[in-house]
Amino acid sequence: MAQDSNGGKRDDHRPRVNPILAHLEAIATGIKWLTRKPMTLMYPDMEEKRPEYFRGFIIFNYDKCIGCSLCAQICPPRAIHMYRVPGDKRIRPGYDAGRCIHCGLCTDICPTDALDVSPVHDEVFEQIESMDFDPVEWHIISKKLVEEHAKRKRKLVITRVDEEVGLRYEPVE
Amino acid sequence: MVELAKILHVPVWALRGFLAPLVYPGLVALLGTVLFLIWAERKMAARVQQRVGPYYVSPKLRGALQLIADGTRFALQEIIVHVETDRLMFILGPILTFTFLSLPFTVLPGGPGIYGFRSDFSMVIVYALLTLSPITVILMGWASSNKFAMIGGGREALLTVSGEITLALAMLSVAAMYGTLDFVTAVEKQMHTGIIGLVSNPIAALLFFLAMLLLTDRVPFDIVLGEQEIVQGPYTEYSGVLYALTMAIDYVKLYALSIAFTLLFLGGWAPFTTPLLGAISVYVKSLIVLLFSVFLRSVYGRMRLDHAMNFFWAKLFPLGFIALALGVFVHVIYA
Ligand code: SF4
Ligand code: SF4
Repeated sequence: MAQDSNGGKRDDHRPRVNPILAHLEAIATGIKWLTRKPMTLMYPDMEEKRPEYFRGFIIFNYDKCIGCSLCAQICPPRAIHMYRVPGDKRIRPGYDAGRCIHCGLCTDICPTDALDVSPVHDEVFEQIESMDFDPVEWHIISKKLVEEHAKRKRKLVITRVDEEVGLRYEPVE
Repeated sequence: MVELAKILHVPVWALRGFLAPLVYPGLVALLGTVLFLIWAERKMAARVQQRVGPYYVSPKLRGALQLIADGTRFALQEIIVHVETDRLMFILGPILTFTFLSLPFTVLPGGPGIYGFRSDFSMVIVYALLTLSPITVILMGWASSNKFAMIGGGREALLTVSGEITLALAMLSVAAMYGTLDFVTAVEKQMHTGIIGLVSNPIAALLFFLAMLLLTDRVPFDIVLGEQEIVQGPYTEYSGVLYALTMAIDYVKLYALSIAFTLLFLGGWAPFTTPLLGAISVYVKSLIVLLFSVFLRSVYGRMRLDHAMNFFWAKLFPLGFIALALGVFVHVIYA
């Protein structure tokens, strides 16, 4: 009986199979799977539809802010810091997108709705430093991201679990 | 071939010597096939795993240009030769191997009358030329002065011996069966009797196919490359054009061997006898063999080294003698 390299007899525990039939079966299985459709989500061309209040990048409207700094107090990972802006009497929030955990607490606590959630979740920044925004930058990038997102023409789909293919993507309007 | 030579006013031997090794079945056909094959391999593996595979380089062509993009990248990449290598051998290794491997196409017939030169010993010549390449591969492993490359070279040495014995036995049984060592005569014998080698000696065909997989590092015998264990085996240190060459080595060998498989076991250019249709027949048949052998990548895992050795020496080697006996037996029936 064949000995395993670590001394155990392994053939005892194995079910006996006909070697030729097993190989043919393996190849037949491979060929069967060859005809199946891939279940990849072609991401940049196609995207899953986000739910209505999806919490992505936090959007900041400078004009609505009253500088109460509640958002900085509530933020669990301290992604929001208060800044002094030259020419402004009040302190204003700045945002570190790299720290944000997208909990949405800041948007809940803001008394004037200056903060809002957005469906933008796939913005790419080349450097870690460029993810840290002071109040004015935050206002500008928020505007830009919202505009860009509105212009996007990706096919939106909903993912369904399917017995046959695994995952299926249904287009939505 | 003869008519073409008359039209072009060149001697037939010159046309043969130019056309066979350089155009078909040689380099041009080879290059196209390898590019297509690697794409098909990736695409098939992707399909079996329900992925998409190469796509974004040319979405309309389903990513078929991916390989050209890769090739361009390799061509423009710097060739890094690190300090501890044996410089001469390191650079010459892939080039020599590729040269050795393109020599068999001078004598491998790609269709009726399409060959560089005809010899009574063409099977022996092809076998000998193909078995030159492992030597340079082992040297490449040594010259890289890298642990992984060293181990890869050692594995290549070990596996080549077992694979080539099996291949030789399979070829011998075919030679015994048809009573010839010439591909052309072997094909003519198959056309004459109307029974292809796969039917008259299936054991030899199986041995030939398995030895082909082993010698060209196809899954389940990709032990020499062993990506998850030893990076890329003997080719670990290569970059740029040299890397592209090392990658091509196995595919060139696979292509040559699958043409040989077609000629010996699938009836070569049967049922056609005109050069053009015959060439297409040979090409299509060997393409099917190629596609099947790369398809196995998505079915099997890698065999362990000792299991593979055990398999080849303890199981296939005795089977080789049975194939030889069967070949002799069939020869007696044919005679
Ligand atoms: S979403 Fe949460 S983590 Fe992000 S800034 Fe607002 S409070 Fe902080
Ligand atoms: S909670 Fe709203 S209003 Fe208060 S500082 Fe933050 S953003 Fe401005």
